[in-house]
Amino acid sequence: MSAFDEYWAGVDKDLARFPARPVLTPARARSTGPFTCYDVRLSGIEGHRIFGFLSIPDGDGPFPAVLEVPRYGSVNQPPHYRERLRYVVFSLMHRGQRLADSPFRAHYPGLFTLGIESPATYVYRAIVADCLRGAEFLFSRPEVDPARVGVTGDDLAVLTAARRPGFAAVRTSGPIEGAPELDDHLRAYPDSAAASTLAFFDSALHERSITAPVLRVGRDYDLTHEDATDDTALDAWLAERLGVRAMTRFDAR
Amino acid sequence: MRDPESATITVERPADFDEFWADTFAGLPDPAPELTRVPHLSDDRVDTFDLRFTSYQGVRIAAWFCVPRDAQGPLPGILNIPGYISEPMPPRGFAERGYAALAIAPRGKLRSNEVFNPGYPGLLTHDIADHYTYGYRGFYVDTVRALDVLAGLPGVDPDRLGVQGSSQGGGLGVVTAALRPELVKAVACGAPYLCGIRECVGLTRSYPYEEITEYLHVHPSHAEDVWRTVAYYDGLNFAPAVRAPILIYLGLRDDVCPPESGLALHRALSGPKELHTFPNSGHHAGLHWIFPKVEAFLDQHLEPLS
Repeated sequence: MSAFDEYWAGVDKDLARFPARPVLTPARARSTGPFTCYDVRLSGIEGHRIFGFLSIPDGDGPFPAVLEVPRYGSVNQPPHYRERLRYVVFSLMHRGQRLADSPFRAHYPGLFTLGIESPATYVYRAIVADCLRGAEFLFSRPEVDPARVGVTGDDLAVLTAARRPGFAAVRTSGPIEGAPELDDHLRAYPDSAAASTLAFFDSALHERSITAPVLRVGRDYDLTHEDATDDTALDAWLAERLGVRAMTRFDAR
Repeated sequence: MRDPESATITVERPADFDEFWADTFAGLPDPAPELTRVPHLSDDRVDTFDLRFTSYQGVRIAAWFCVPRDAQGPLPGILNIPGYISEPMPPRGFAERGYAALAIAPRGKLRSNEVFNPGYPGLLTHDIADHYTYGYRGFYVDTVRALDVLAGLPGVDPDRLGVQGSSQGGGLGVVTAALRPELVKAVACGAPYLCGIRECVGLTRSYPYEEITEYLHVHPSHAEDVWRTVAYYDGLNFAPAVRAPILIYLGLRDDVCPPESGLALHRALSGPKELHTFPNSGHHAGLHWIFPKVEAFLDQHLEPLS
């Protein structure tokens, strides 16, 4: 087994030691349409409790579903209304982000290079595990059609799909937005082992094991920089693969 | 089919609007700013400082402050105001272009949330039933107070100050310029949030405005209280007091801050103003094309060191 495979097998093994034990709390405030929303708390590795917004369409399922992996930043919004109309949606906060920030609170700037001196200590080892836990939770829901589950976000979506086969579509906006922080780190620590650590998180290496269609912005779709146009195109790509109608955010009311 | 350019948004201005804000700023504590250089966020071109100051209700507020290294002479100052869910990053790009740049983290943002932390979602509706206790009251003051602090920092020319931001940063840029007309000399305002708030709640299902929809879903009897509160915080009610030249840029398919509200802001401004619209842009508001114009606009009015 390569060091790469061994490392990720170790992540799976660590995660398996901590049952998810999800607790769903109805979120009446967000149930503002033909869907029901829940706050979800569940466990990740090292017993850290993470958080997600879950929305389930009204009616008889099973429904297509989308896992929204966290963006780079402290805050993730709840899933958008138009997504809630069409999918079971689970929007995850990884450890350190708002709603999942006790006892560890992420700093911005700072998170991207935390523990980067070694793959064993790099914070993204646990963050990817949080995303894997989110995938396991979504696939476990009886309302979900397991043949029509997509994952969206930045390259955390690629790593998640690579480690948890079963997704029907993967849409990534590209690399995690940590480049400026990495520059700061390398300026302060020119002999850092960051490059060898980040090799374990190389999305191109992970993508090789994904059999589902992958849309990567910048490679498979060139942004027009008219973001309403781009959003419409990216929404349509996922909708077609998961068997729902396309919808624009601007017109979703 | 929506036609944002023909829509009209008006906001009722509370009779005691000016008095409310004068009272809010009366008796603020000494900001007592403290600057601490941050070596790992500084380089051979820019020095980065962690800035702390005291604001409304005695809350200690954080900011990043960046200046070009070894700069000679007083520098123009620029206040960067963050979006609703974003955390301010050190504004090194502006410092590299010759500005003393301050990026404020108003209360509730990381580093400023020790004693006030409504969370996200949460800020927009925090204590919204009462305009005196509304969570945004201190948040607005923190932003304006940051400009006061910037004006007093060593090496900053208080006669060459600007504000810039998009979304919440655009809306609060208008508020800051209205409340400090003697200080603000230029405003760059993208996709402004917090303008025409009541109308926007009905125009979009996107966050943050969706937070008010959700609040009223649970508390329908609070509707009139909510609409009374937000009128005190609405950018359209601040706009007539803006004197500085302002550049506004909008996406005409913005689902987050409906373009109808940005166009209403443009109409409500009576000073020098410049409007750029992008028909197929959403909340990015043409940023890919407009940012060089934003830089040129600020340079024209604030004259940074070359």
